[in-house]
Amino acid sequence: MRAGAAIGMSALALALGGCATQSAVFHSLPPEHPAASNAADIARANTIAAEAGLAAKSTAGAAHGGPDAKQSESPPLLTPAYAPPLSTYDPWAHLNRFTYRFNARFDEAIFLPVANGYRRLPAPLRSGVHNFFGNLGEVDSLINYTLQGRLGRGVRSLGRFVINSTIGIGGLVDVAETLHLPKAPTGFGTTLAKWGMHPGPYLVIPFYGPSSLREGIGLAADYGTSYGINLADLYRSWQSWGLGVTNAVDQRASIDFRYYASGSPFEYETIRFLSVRKQLIEDAGLHRKRLPPKPNPNQPAGE
Amino acid sequence: MLQRLASTLAALCVSAAALADIAPMLPPGEPATGLADSAALRATVFGTPPQDIAPLPAKVPLLEMDLKLPWACPLPEVLWFDRRLRVWLSTQKRPAPLVIVISGTGSDGDTAKLSLLRAVLYGAGYHVLTMPSPTFPGFIASASSTGVAGDLLQDGHDLYAAMREVIAHLPRKVRVTDIDVVGYSLGGANVAIVKSIDAAQRGLDIHRAVMINPPVSLFATMGRLDKLYAVSLGNGDAGIEQFYQQLYAALANLYRASDRVQLDEDFLLGAAASVLKTDAQFSAAIALTFRIALSNVFFTGDLYSGAGVVTDPKHPPKVGDSLEEVARTLRGKSFAEYFTRIFAPYYMKRRSLSSVEELIAQNRLEVIGDALRDDGDYYALTNSDDLILDRAELEWLKRTLGSRIAVYDHGGHLGNLGERQQVADLLDMLSGRWTGRAR
Repeated sequence: MRAGAAIGMSALALALGGCATQSAVFHSLPPEHPAASNAADIARANTIAAEAGLAAKSTAGAAHGGPDAKQSESPPLLTPAYAPPLSTYDPWAHLNRFTYRFNARFDEAIFLPVANGYRRLPAPLRSGVHNFFGNLGEVDSLINYTLQGRLGRGVRSLGRFVINSTIGIGGLVDVAETLHLPKAPTGFGTTLAKWGMHPGPYLVIPFYGPSSLREGIGLAADYGTSYGINLADLYRSWQSWGLGVTNAVDQRASIDFRYYASGSPFEYETIRFLSVRKQLIEDAGLHRKRLPPKPNPNQPAGE
Repeated sequence: MLQRLASTLAALCVSAAALADIAPMLPPGEPATGLADSAALRATVFGTPPQDIAPLPAKVPLLEMDLKLPWACPLPEVLWFDRRLRVWLSTQKRPAPLVIVISGTGSDGDTAKLSLLRAVLYGAGYHVLTMPSPTFPGFIASASSTGVAGDLLQDGHDLYAAMREVIAHLPRKVRVTDIDVVGYSLGGANVAIVKSIDAAQRGLDIHRAVMINPPVSLFATMGRLDKLYAVSLGNGDAGIEQFYQQLYAALANLYRASDRVQLDEDFLLGAAASVLKTDAQFSAAIALTFRIALSNVFFTGDLYSGAGVVTDPKHPPKVGDSLEEVARTLRGKSFAEYFTRIFAPYYMKRRSLSSVEELIAQNRLEVIGDALRDDGDYYALTNSDDLILDRAELEWLKRTLGSRIAVYDHGGHLGNLGERQQVADLLDMLSGRWTGRAR
């Protein structure tokens, strides 16, 4: 523990000190894989084309009242009037701006360099780590899907956990994915949303990033749940710090975002705008059978 | 096709008054979409279909280089994160020619388009250095000597100086045999100017310059984009709000109909094609993209020149201040307003010009017309349906460059970037193999 702290502090000193003096600073980044990303783009385009074909077919079927008609199952459509206003509710703006800046500086000095280092490790190793933490998350997903009353999804999480923990060697391999049981994590924040709780004020969480009060509560509860269950003594033993940091680095490495890559003085406003709308659309997706409440045009989005 | 487009746009047009605030340099009858038809607008928005992209290498190494440049203006507090110029480098292990690639209006040196060009150039054996546009706020704050961006000559000098600084700091193991420059959109015009400056100063010995979809007159192009904004989104917040509401509803409906538990990037990439469908929406998306880039240029120009249009020169915004109101105001500010209130006063005084026309003339590619005509190392790739050009400008490019230009029938503005034939032609031009075959 003490050795870990010492290494951490030296890394911090290097990261912060290294940048300040030189006129040219180099950062070695993980290589790009253009051929593979193009192949992924082609696959996505094909999937979309196939989905669009299916959708056209079912719409045509529905229009003619044919056998494909699934009118009762398709969610009622939102009209543009359901879009919240352009302005965004942010009563804690002062604190949020401060936290956003803190996160940006922390990310630049420590988090991103470490994540970039991690990205250079062999892919099988990284996917092992990623799957391992994903598998631990299934326990929390199972509990929350149950609390949300989405038992089918809960069973899927349980199935994934059982398959991956056994055949998948303690969660290192996502065997369930190949068996057409894709990962669909959820948490207590989503449970609260499903129970009808409003997202609450926009909240930038230290180290974590843009979120909402409700999601903040959800994250704390999710951690509390994991800590309470303490699966395989992973959350309360001496190595739990190391595991937590590894998990955080793995998460960071999978997010393709860089603070102030926009270079824009309006980045805080832009990110807040997008984050709050993303949340509201996801909430509308939780209650597919009914329409969300119509926003008041005189109230900023998220109030 | 253009007529159909025009009538669709007219239907969406919020008010006829919106047309009154258009850049004065645009002839009144000219369409806001330049040479673009419906297919060109679509291509501009969605880019080259992935299956039409040229073969790409499996792996491209990447090094980021952050530089502090001595001539940069004092850094305003609100731009604290833009203190260093960031460029990206992909180097071969053996000696090789270097291509410096410059991005378009308001863009950073690591955009998806640059990443694509980096891949094809690296795959062809070049060292590749990608740099931001001189209109990117990170460049303005760290590398501009004026802070008022958008002037072809001034930006060219700043960019050239920044390139020299970057080259001087390249890692020693990188062995460069030759230097070429490539730029897309505004970056195309930037690299042509840079090559002409280099021809006089001989600091880098730049060999070839390739412009991809360049503008010919910066102000005619910007006037066209102002007009496109006015006809597709109107002047106030109403049009932009309407467009946003449409997109929000479409996205929410798509998400609700899907089986997803998260609105992630993958979903958004897939959703784009179903959310943006009509010419009016394509036009609005294109106009809005440029307007967002302009907001940054406007803000920084106002701050550095002390013009006081959206910021108070005596009390500039501080770190932590809300910029929400400024951002909202800037949504309604056109390029014409940037020109008349910040850009023209600044440069006319600096250069002791007597008329606005002189400044406009200085911002046309014609300023290096002789070099473009006589020097066989300038090349261009463009499309006959590019929305930033009109017929006369395209003809001028063809006439001036002669056989050194490739003009494709389709692609709009950058909508065929990375396409197989285009990449083959680009590589032919860079290596001197280009023979100007008819197409």
